[in-house]
Amino acid sequence: MKVQTAIPAVLMRIILLIAVVFVLAPLVFMLTASLMPASDIVKMPYRWIPQGIHTANFVKAIAGNDGQFMFIRNIINSLIVAVTVSITTVLISSLTGYSLSKFSYRGRDVLFLLIMATMMIPFEAIMIPLYMVVTKMGIQNSYPGLIIPFMVNAFGVFMMRQYLITFPDEFIDAARVDGMSEFAIYRKIILPNSGPAIATLAILAFRAQWDNLLWPLLVAQTEKMKTIPLYVVKFTAEMHTDEGAMMAVALIASIPMFILFFSLSKYFVSGAAVYSSRKG
Amino acid sequence: MPRTMPRRLKSPLKKHQDRWGRLFVLPAILFFSVFNFYPIINAFVTSLFRKKILSLKPPTFIGLENYRYLLTSADFWNSIRATAVFTVGTFIPLLLVSLLLAVLINEVKWGKKFLQMAYYSPAVLSSVVAAAIWLLIFDPRGLANQWVNFVMNTPGVDHNWFANAIMVQFATMLVYFWKYVGYFVIIFTAGIASIPGTLYEAARIDGSNSRQAFWRITLPLLKPTVVLVSVMSMLQCLKTFSTQYLFTQSGAPQGPINVITMNIYHTGIRDQRIGRASAMSIILFAIMLFFTWLQFSTTKSEEVTY
Repeated sequence: MKVQTAIPAVLMRIILLIAVVFVLAPLVFMLTASLMPASDIVKMPYRWIPQGIHTANFVKAIAGNDGQFMFIRNIINSLIVAVTVSITTVLISSLTGYSLSKFSYRGRDVLFLLIMATMMIPFEAIMIPLYMVVTKMGIQNSYPGLIIPFMVNAFGVFMMRQYLITFPDEFIDAARVDGMSEFAIYRKIILPNSGPAIATLAILAFRAQWDNLLWPLLVAQTEKMKTIPLYVVKFTAEMHTDEGAMMAVALIASIPMFILFFSLSKYFVSGAAVYSSRKG
Repeated sequence: MPRTMPRRLKSPLKKHQDRWGRLFVLPAILFFSVFNFYPIINAFVTSLFRKKILSLKPPTFIGLENYRYLLTSADFWNSIRATAVFTVGTFIPLLLVSLLLAVLINEVKWGKKFLQMAYYSPAVLSSVVAAAIWLLIFDPRGLANQWVNFVMNTPGVDHNWFANAIMVQFATMLVYFWKYVGYFVIIFTAGIASIPGTLYEAARIDGSNSRQAFWRITLPLLKPTVVLVSVMSMLQCLKTFSTQYLFTQSGAPQGPINVITMNIYHTGIRDQRIGRASAMSIILFAIMLFFTWLQFSTTKSEEVTY
């Protein structure tokens, strides 16, 4: 709808444009600075167009201070953790959501409320007891230690339950008449028909792990078990004066997320917009 | 006549199905018990003890001594202050600016999709990457000084983004604001899109202008989203860690930005005083519960129907 506008159209566009510049400039800075020698990066005023490609930044970023190429190992660690967590989150959330939406056993709603209650518990408040649980299980400084505490989360269960409530019962009943086992129904009917919800959930889980700093800081003690955020912090602290290499690390660390974002932006948006659908 | 009727008569087949339903929920229940409920109970119990991680001494029960210590500790109050300043200083601009941008995006005809994607793009980055980029922007010779000097026409002035206690707090807020503003623009855009256009048409026929339409239609109907976004962003800000951690690791002063989560980490992991760290955790938990409760109590009575 367009009526006589309270804010002049020109001003509106200027505000939107300034916001675009503010938001994109640091990203462009990361990209251009990663291609420049350090002496160009701190030049005043900053020259936005690199004079060439300074590949030494990327060599330094990947090889690291000690030349151990730990960055590659840390990227692989992050990928392993993020992919595994995405898969387990999707599987357990959908199974639980299916149970909570399509079965009617006693205590179902209490269980649902209990699971929802865990959304109130901030990770930051339980990280130290969690660390002791993981230590007792003997899985600190290992992939299981990084993965298991995040295998599923209440938000995922909530999302899948809401999604499956509207799933037509007729399909499920028809499959039962055909003699399909309950687990086969989950695997062959529920899962394949939950595409959008699964994609949204998988991306949320992947991103959360890609971004996770606090937990690996506690449990990943050796360089070989560290993940990307830890590498970024360590590299930044050690190489404070090598701006180009720092931005090369930042860029490499962001590439997988940007690929996901550009190919699946729809699901990023639906992940955020979930919150504004009032009826849940 | 039987004295009590069974509430629901279930066929054997139905019972068989429901057994599967229970089985399907079991993994999640086990998981949440071990990795959520047990740790929060454990944190509460541990907060009543004097306990060190690697110590061989058995923990001693000291009642509320940890809480008493914290509430009289200048260091902890500084963390409360740092967290409160960060939260208020971040979520209010986040809320106002993202609402403004969402409303403006809704008004322009072209490039809606591009604007939304552009605003959202920083949210794709890891928090530490965002902090690393801004670390360089705040360099004395970096872009922040160049821009501010350009806008304020003060060539060559260094604004001491890290050396000054107030500026370093402002710097962390700016990073966070930059990273999340687009995320909330998306949420508000979705909220605005769910308001039926017929309402605006009716308002226009009745002769109201768009300023009135905003204050009388958009804002009231968006109120649940506004409350949701403010509580969500507030809760997120209370848990902030990555930016502050990366900044202090790279040489920024710790005092002004020593937020609660960083204090918990340092107390529990570096100093290994997990009793005291647990007490901090429980205080953080209580603060967040309070704000969640506040959200529920303000939105419950305001279900909107069109």
